[in-house]
Amino acid sequence: MGRAYLGEFEELVLLTVAVLEGGAYGVTIVAELKQRTDRTISLSGVHIALYRLEEKGFVRSELGGATAARGGRRKRLFVITALGKRTLGDMREVRNQLWDSIPNPHLIVSHD
Amino acid sequence: MTKQHPVPPAWADRLVTWFCPNYLQEELLGDLHEQFDLHVEEVGEPKARRLYVREVLKFCRPYFLKRRVSALTQPATNIASFNKDRYTYTQPDSRPTFFLSPDMLLNYIKIALRTLWKSKGYAAINVVGLSVAFVVCIFLFLRSYLHLTYDNFHQDDDRIFQTYFFSNDPEKALRSGNMPLPLTPALKADYPELEAAARILTGRKSLVEVKGKYFDKLVLQTDQDFLKIFSFPLIKGNREIALRNLSSVIISENMAKTAFGTEDPMGKTLQIGSESHKKQYIVTGIISDAPDNSSIQYDILVRIENSYSYQQDKDNWSAQSHTVFVKLPPHVDQATFENRLKPFAQKYFKGNLDELKKKGAKPDQHGDLFAVRLQNLSRVHFDRDIAGRGGTPIAIVYTLMGIAFFILLIACINFINLSIARSFTRAREVGVRKALGALKNQLFVQIWGESTLICLVGFLVGVLLTYLLLPLFNATFDGRVKFAQMLQPGFIGVILIVFVLVTFVAGGYPAWQMAKFNAVEVLKGKLSIKRPGAIRNSLIVTQFIMSSLLACCTIIASQQLNFLRTRPLGFQKEQVISIPVGNQVNGRQALGRLRNTLANDPSILSISGTGINLGRGKDRVSSRSSIGFTYKGRKVSSDLLLIDFDYLKTLKIKPIAGRDFDRTYATDSVKRVIITASMAKMMGESNPVGMLLGDDADSSNTKSQIIGVVPDFHLYSLADEVKPITMYLSNTESIQYIFVRVTPQSLAGTMDKLKEVWKGVAPQSEFLGTFLDENVDAWYQNEEQLSRICSLASSIAILLSCLGLFAVAMMIIEQRTKEIGIRKVMGASIVSIIINLSQDFVKLVIIALVIALPVAWFLMKTWLDSYVEHIALSVWVFAGVGLAAILVALATVSFQTIKAALVNPVKSLRSE
Repeated sequence: MGRAYLGEFEELVLLTVAVLEGGAYGVTIVAELKQRTDRTISLSGVHIALYRLEEKGFVRSELGGATAARGGRRKRLFVITALGKRTLGDMREVRNQLWDSIPNPHLIVSHD
Repeated sequence: MTKQHPVPPAWADRLVTWFCPNYLQEELLGDLHEQFDLHVEEVGEPKARRLYVREVLKFCRPYFLKRRVSALTQPATNIASFNKDRYTYTQPDSRPTFFLSPDMLLNYIKIALRTLWKSKGYAAINVVGLSVAFVVCIFLFLRSYLHLTYDNFHQDDDRIFQTYFFSNDPEKALRSGNMPLPLTPALKADYPELEAAARILTGRKSLVEVKGKYFDKLVLQTDQDFLKIFSFPLIKGNREIALRNLSSVIISENMAKTAFGTEDPMGKTLQIGSESHKKQYIVTGIISDAPDNSSIQYDILVRIENSYSYQQDKDNWSAQSHTVFVKLPPHVDQATFENRLKPFAQKYFKGNLDELKKKGAKPDQHGDLFAVRLQNLSRVHFDRDIAGRGGTPIAIVYTLMGIAFFILLIACINFINLSIARSFTRAREVGVRKALGALKNQLFVQIWGESTLICLVGFLVGVLLTYLLLPLFNATFDGRVKFAQMLQPGFIGVILIVFVLVTFVAGGYPAWQMAKFNAVEVLKGKLSIKRPGAIRNSLIVTQFIMSSLLACCTIIASQQLNFLRTRPLGFQKEQVISIPVGNQVNGRQALGRLRNTLANDPSILSISGTGINLGRGKDRVSSRSSIGFTYKGRKVSSDLLLIDFDYLKTLKIKPIAGRDFDRTYATDSVKRVIITASMAKMMGESNPVGMLLGDDADSSNTKSQIIGVVPDFHLYSLADEVKPITMYLSNTESIQYIFVRVTPQSLAGTMDKLKEVWKGVAPQSEFLGTFLDENVDAWYQNEEQLSRICSLASSIAILLSCLGLFAVAMMIIEQRTKEIGIRKVMGASIVSIIINLSQDFVKLVIIALVIALPVAWFLMKTWLDSYVEHIALSVWVFAGVGLAAILVALATVSFQTIKAALVNPVKSLRSE
C-alpha cells in the first residue's frame, strides 16, 4: 500500500480533530462526534483511533491543560499534522472524483 | 463546599489503573472523569455512574491490555519524516508484571503442559493419588458432617436439654436417660420457671388405619410442650393448640402424602393401634419430616397420655420408660439449674439414695449420690449412655475425620516428595530462567502454578468420582449422605480451604525450594542431587507411620469384632428362625396357628414366642423392658422378658435349678417366673427356686413364684454387660416374635416352607423371618460398618503410601542410573546392587515401624479396655504388620531396582 490507510471511523476522528482546532481531546471529540453523527461513541474507541492516528503520523499530541473537573489530571491535546491534512485532502479528492464519475441519471433518455 | 461533589465508582478507577499502561493513565482517567461530570449534569448521578462503568469496561480491550510500546513518549517533532524507527522499546514500569504479561503467562502454560506431558507417569500418579484422597476425604467429611450437625437445626438449641439420672454406684457411676412418667409433671410443678418440658416415648411402629388402608408408622407419644421445645416447622395447624386434645394427632409431611395423597388431611380421622386397643384421632397439624440428622424421628405425634401403660404407670416412679426434654429459660445455665435440681432428687428419689448409701456409695465431686442432670441437645447424639443405640460417640466421628486427614496428608506427602524428586531434573530450566532475569517470585509462581494445575485436575476428578460413587457408598455403609450437602456454603468453604491448603503445602514448598536454586551452580551442573534429603526421608517415614498405625488398628478392631460375634451367648443361635409378627395380626393367635399347622412337620423341632427379639431382625426394632424393686431390703433391677412355652427348649437353654414352664401346670402362665443366675445372685439367694419375687412393700398376694433358674445369657449385644433377666408367661401381653428351631438338614428349605405357611397365618403382613445368627451379627452393624470404613480407608492409605514410594524410587533410580552403570562395570553383582538400592527404603520403613507400633499398641489397649469382654493384644499382629510393611515396601521398590540393575551399563553410561 503506497499510502497510509485510513478507516472510516479514523477519518471521522481526524476530521473532528481538524474541526476542533487545538481544543481536540477525548471528551470534546466524543461530544462533537455525537452531536454531528448521532451515534453512540465510546471514549475508548476514540482514544484508540487517536493513538493509531498518531502512530501513523496524522496527528500529534502533547499533554497540557489540567482542569479541576478532571481531578487535576492533564489532558492530551491533539493537533492535525500536515500529513494528516494532506491525507484528508487526498481522500476528499478521490471521493469527489468518484462522485463526479457517477453517470448523471437525468441524461438517460428512454425510448419506448 | 456545601455539597458533596459526585465521584465515579472507585473500583472502576482501580480497574483502569490495573489494566492500563502507566503512561496512558493520566489522560484516560482524566477524560473519563470529565465525561462523568458532564453526564452527571445531563442525566443525573445514578445514570452517570452506570455509563461510567460501561465506559470503563469498554476500555478492557486488547489494544489497551497489550499495549506496551509507546509511540507517544517520543516528542512528535518531525512528523513529516514519519518512519518506523520512531518506535522505541520502553521498559514498561517497575511493578511486577508477572500476572499482567499475557505473553509470559502463555509461555508458562505452554511449559507446564509440555513438562506434564513429558512426565506423564508423574502427573498420573499425582492425579490418581490426589483424587483418591479427595474422594475418601469428602466421603468421610460428609459422614462426619452429618453427625456433627445432629440436632443443630432447632432454634435455641443451647437451651434444650435432655434429663438423665446419675447415680454414683460404688462399682461404676451409672447414667440413664430413661425417665419415669410422673417426673415431668413434678418438674413442672416444682420449677415453674422452666420454659417447657416434654416426655417422648417412641416405641415400635404401630398399625395406622386411614380409610380402610393400613400403614406401619412410627408413632411418637409426647406432651403438648413438644412443639414449644423443638422447632420442627408446622406446615399446617396451630403450634399452640395442635396437641391440646388427647385425640389430636399431628402427622408428618411424608405420612400426609402416603396416606392422604393430594387430599387435605386436616380434620380427617385416622386410627392407631390394633384390635384390642385401637383409638381414633383427628388430624390437627402437619409437621415437616424430621431431617436425617435429627435424634428425634417420627411419622405421627400424639399425646403421651394415650400410651398403653400410661394409666398404670403415671404415678409409678420406678417404671422408667421414656426420655424427657426441657427448655431452660434464657439466662439460666445448665450448672445453675442442675444445682437447683438437687432438692428434687432428695425429695423424689429417697429410695435410690438410701440404697446407694447402703451399698457404701460416696458422693461424686459435685456432692451427688443420685441426681437428675441435664445433657445439652447438641451433645445427646454423642452420648451413648443417654441416646442409646442411635448415638455415635464423638470419638468415632473424630476418628473418621482423623483418618480423612491422614489420607490427605499421605497424598500431600506423595506430592511433595515427587515434586522435590523431580525438581532436580528441572533444575536446568530454572537455572536458565534465572540467568535470563526471572525473579524468584516469578519462578515460584510458575512452578507452584503447575502443581496447582495438577491439584485442580485431581480435585475435579475426585469430585466427579464422589458423585459417581455416592450411591454405592450409601448402600454399603448406610451413609445417609447426600450430594446436596456438598453444595452447602459451609461445606464448600471447608473444601475450598482444604484445597487451597493442599496446593500451598504440597505445591508451594517444592516450588519455593526450586525457586531458591542457585543459578550459577545449577548451570555449572554442581547442584548436588545425591543427598537424599532429610525432609523427603522424614516424609516417607511419616507416611509409613500413619499407614502401619491404621493397619494395626484395623486388624485389631476386626479381631475384636470377630471375637464378639463368635462369643457364646448363652443360647444356641444356630438353626433358629425368628419371625417378627408385625402389627397387622395378633402375635398370640399367629403363634397358635403356626403351632397347629406345623405340629407334625419333622423339620420343625420346636416353636415359641417372645416379646423381645434376639439380635436385630429385618424389622430393625430393638426393645428393652426392665423392672426395679426392693427385695428383702435390696434394690433389685432386672430385664423383663415375655416368653412362651418351649422358649428354653427352642434356644437350648438348660435350667440349672428348677424347671421350664410346662403346659401341664395350669398355673404357670400366672405369677410364675424363671430367672437367670445373676438375678439369683443379685437377690442374694443361693437356691431361689420356690421363693416369691416382688417388692417388699407389695403386701397383696401378687408376688411371682420362681420356678426355675437358668444360666446367664445375652439378651443384648456383648458390648453391654450381661444383665439379670426375669422371664414370665402371659395370656394377654402381645407376642412380638416367633422363634422356630429347625433341623440342621435343609435350613433354607424350611425358611421357604415357613414363608408359605406364614401367608396363611398372616396374609396381610410381609414375612420377615431371619436366622438368629444373622440377627446377632446385626447387633454389631455399627461396629462392622465402622470397621469396614476403617479397613477400606487404611488400605487406601497404604496403597497411596506405596504409590508415593514407588514414584520416589523411580525418580531416585533414574538419577542414579549412571552410578549403577559404573558399579556394574566395576564388577558389582546384580544382587548387591539391588540390596544397595533397596536398603535405603527399608531403613526408612523400619524407623517408621519403631515409632508406629508402640503407639498402636497403646491406642488399641485403651480402646479394648472400653469393652467388657475383649481380646488380648497379640504380639503377632504387630510383628505381622511390621513384616508386611517391609515386604510391601520392598516389593514396591524392587520392581524399579531390579529393572535398574539389569540395564546394560553400556546404555546407561552412553549419554550426552
